[in-house]
Amino acid sequence: MTSHVLNNYIADLKANLRIDGESENEVLDELKCHLEDEFDDMVQTGIPEEEAARTAVRLLGSAKLIAKKIYEAHSQGSWKHALLASVPHMLFAALFALNWWKGIGLVVIVLSSVLGIALVGWLHNKPMWLFPWLGYCMAPVLAAGLLLLYLPRVWSWISILIYIPLALWFIYSVTIRTIRKDWLYGALMLLPAPIAVGWYIALGHDGNSLQLDTDYIQGFAPLIAMSFLALAGVAATFVRMRKRWLRTTLLATSQFVILILVTFYTRGRLALWSSALLALATVGMLIGLSYIDRRMRRRSIFSR
Amino acid sequence: MPHQRELIKGSTDHLLLVLVGQQKMYGYQIIKELDRKSQGYFKFKEGTLYPALHRMEKSGLITGKWELSPTGRRRRYYHITAKGQKLLTLERTQWQDFIAAMHLVVGPANV
Repeated sequence: MTSHVLNNYIADLKANLRIDGESENEVLDELKCHLEDEFDDMVQTGIPEEEAARTAVRLLGSAKLIAKKIYEAHSQGSWKHALLASVPHMLFAALFALNWWKGIGLVVIVLSSVLGIALVGWLHNKPMWLFPWLGYCMAPVLAAGLLLLYLPRVWSWISILIYIPLALWFIYSVTIRTIRKDWLYGALMLLPAPIAVGWYIALGHDGNSLQLDTDYIQGFAPLIAMSFLALAGVAATFVRMRKRWLRTTLLATSQFVILILVTFYTRGRLALWSSALLALATVGMLIGLSYIDRRMRRRSIFSR
Repeated sequence: MPHQRELIKGSTDHLLLVLVGQQKMYGYQIIKELDRKSQGYFKFKEGTLYPALHRMEKSGLITGKWELSPTGRRRRYYHITAKGQKLLTLERTQWQDFIAAMHLVVGPANV
């Protein structure tokens, strides 16, 4: 009964903690140690065990509040990390601002750099700056999938049957592992997706949005670069923020603002209803990520 | 007493720095030591202690290390760093000046 009270408290704390695995274990061990010390002292003064356990838990206070405060103590990244998190967005901004997108060599260099740096971050305990890089790793996977559609019919079907399940598995696996760390990182990773889709629709040939209009890309390149620069600012601000609710608000509102600007500046090429659908998809994405995170945490607590 | 709570809240970091500056301590020990030294005046809300310790650790003022206590239990001991020591020296002078000034204004001679 006694250990049940203390263990329940620690489980409650774990369910609400959103810090990296190593720090999480340290915090849980430290607070468990505190509860046991308090409990032992009270039992030694003659207080019954059950009452001692309940008092120890009450004195420590709400697990949810402690988890929130601990998160705020751990969450803020350094300026170096803020810069690192914004670099992939800046690279994509440079692709358009400096017309690198026209040369396949430069595009390959940028994408290879993104993949390489994301791999380094993934293998080094997945720091916060990694997630924007991971998001751009999805781009070549999706782009390759789209290119397959232009192969001769038989090859197209074969490659679709092989490639699409593999690509979906890769995206699913990376997203789930990211959400397991924190669903907000998942949202940070997918931050450019609605904006990129918005531009893709806006710059597609009339009646065939699978084919991009290079003249339009050329014309809108400075604005595309500006939208990626805005994402760079969002990523850097996210890293420097301490409070969770501020981070959530930042991710949700920034995408809306950028989508509205894309709709406005493309002069109707991104229809209002398309923009509204993308905004709804963004909200759905945030709610979905948060829901999956909650379910995974609950499952991991019950399986302990 | 809400006023007393505000005073304690404002001096949490300084009190923690003073205690950890005297000897390495773990969380539960800090609460007991503060209660003993202040003769019960400073009663920390226990849940606020750990976020404060972690915040100070992130700022580089203290550092936490898992060590075995004399009873054989593994505990996270906090040590003051050089940066923390420097800040403590500065804050101690400021506190002494503040207390002396307060004493001049609200001391027995002025009541």
